[in-house]
Formats: sequence, structure tokens, C-alpha cells
Amino acid sequence: MKQMQCPLNGWRNIQEFAHGGEVVDEPDPNRCTDAEWAEYIFMEDNKAGLVKEWWCHVATAYWFIAERDTVKDEIVRTYDPSELFKERRDYTRPEALEGKS
Amino acid sequence: MALKPTQCARRSFLYRELENSGARFEELNGSAIAINYGDAEGETAQARKLGICDLSSLQRTGFKGWNMADWLRLQGVVLAEESNITSPQTDGTRVARLAPGEALVLGDYQGGGALIEKLDSTWSMESADGCYQVPRAETNFWLALTGTEAPALFTKICAVDLRDQATSVHSVVQTNVARLNAIIIRGGTAEVPVFDLLSDIASAVYLWRALLDAMGEFGGKPIGLKALQDLT
Repeated sequence: MKQMQCPLNGWRNIQEFAHGGEVVDEPDPNRCTDAEWAEYIFMEDNKAGLVKEWWCHVATAYWFIAERDTVKDEIVRTYDPSELFKERRDYTRPEALEGKS
Repeated sequence: MALKPTQCARRSFLYRELENSGARFEELNGSAIAINYGDAEGETAQARKLGICDLSSLQRTGFKGWNMADWLRLQGVVLAEESNITSPQTDGTRVARLAPGEALVLGDYQGGGALIEKLDSTWSMESADGCYQVPRAETNFWLALTGTEAPALFTKICAVDLRDQATSVHSVVQTNVARLNAIIIRGGTAEVPVFDLLSDIASAVYLWRALLDAMGEFGGKPIGLKALQDLT
């Protein structure tokens, strides 16, 4: 069976993990177009080569990032998301909606 | 007259299964606990070989959040720096660090848990900013798998190597056991291992039966709390 190294729990069988899609930058939800938001939510690049993806170790509900080579079918590196996401992201209410419920 | 679990205010999630296996109950902390299965002396030997013991009536709690470690240490708790390591406390309670921001607190096998009562009564949403309570006693059942054959049993139902050469006393393994998400804590002694196992109460009966089925080929049987207390 394939194995993956969980940054929290070490080497585990691949069946303990769930795939969570590509790591992509989130557009500003208050300023982007509907098409840009739809692209962010629904579309995958599905690139042949090195990709950066979200994975979850299901037994601990621990989300982390894996870099995979989809051509060689190899997992290159796994790491905690704090390496990429160093600050909390807060969301503000769009000005256009102020005063509306 | 023998105590029936239904006479107690609290009972294990598994009390019907324990009754079916012939358990004799005693009251502990207001809950019916299977103290033995009619062969008190034989069960001590059984515990050294391969036994399964329901500990769901014993005390436990949990905490999580970005401020978990600082808040617990402020209460005098000894907490490991690394994840997946258990720290014994002076009163017999054990604190397992599951992640940088999550800990599980287990009471001792005698039914004690002064530290747990103190933590649960001290904690409040207002006073412990960034540290949240996890009600483990209401959400997780708790079993102990004991004896020298226990690592062999785990090879049938768990993909992680739990033999002595791979797992040391006080280590924590969070993985799949018989297709359920479970927390396993290696306790006991170097000679006779005891594995504490916690998982979701919704699957308690399933896992109890699956473990009894899996341990049959190694001669494993249910043991009462008394045999576990004698062992450790």
C-alpha cells in the first residue's frame, strides 16, 4: 500500500488520508468577479508535474500540505500549513451590504 | 443481590455487552463498572496474556485550542513539548498531548480524577481564552487491551506497528482500528503492555464485538477492572 508522511503522526497508509484539492490563493471575495470566485471554488488546474495540495489525516482531522509530482506519482514533501499561512485571515462585510440584513 | 447497571445513575455505553459476557458489577463514582466476570483469580492471569476491559465509566476530559498548552500549564499540568506523548501527573492522572493544540486527560484505573475535576470546574469560556473543553467522557468510550499478546492482536486490525520495538511506554498513536478512528495510548510496563483505546461512542458496540472476535485466536477474553488494577 502507498504511504504518506503526516507532519503530525508520521508514516501512515494512504487510506487514512483524504484529498482536499489544490492550494490556491483566495481572491478577495468583496472585490473579485463571480467568474473569478467560481474559478477559485470549482476549478482545478490538474497540472502534470509538481502540485501543492491540501490533505487531511482523517483519524486526527489534521489538515496539512503535500507537494506531489503527478507525473512520477511521488510525494515530494509534506508540511504544516503554518509554513504558508502565517497570519489569521478575517473577513469584512462588503460595504454594499451595510444596512441590509 | 447482585448490582444491575440499570440501578445506577450512570452506565457504560457497553453495559448490555458486558452483561452478555457475564460481568459482575460494582458501583464506582455513581456508575456501574464490570469488576470481574466470575473468575477473579483467573482474570489476573488472563490480563497478562490478552484481556479487554471496559473503562468507559472512569473519568476523562480534554482541551483544545491555540492557548491549550499555556492554560493547562497554568493549572499545574505537566505537558509534553512534543505531540503524541503522554505525561503522567503526580496524582496518577495522565495527560496525552494529541497535537500542538489538543490534549486528552485520563483518570487513573482506581476511578480517581481529582485533577480532572479541578480542570473541569476551573475552566470557563471567559477565563480560558483560546482553550476549549472537549467532553471526552460523553463522546468517547474507553477500553484497555492488556497482555503480551495485545501487539499481535493489533497487527490484525491496525496498520501501525505497536510491538515493543516500535512503540515505547507513554507513546500515543492516532490511527484507524478496525476501520474506526481511534486514539491508542501505550501504558503498562515494559513486560506487560496495556493499550488504552478511545473512539466514538456511536461505534462502541461494533468495536467491542470486533475486538472480541479478533482476539479469539489468541485466547483473549473480557477482564474486569480488578484484574487491570492488579496488573498495573
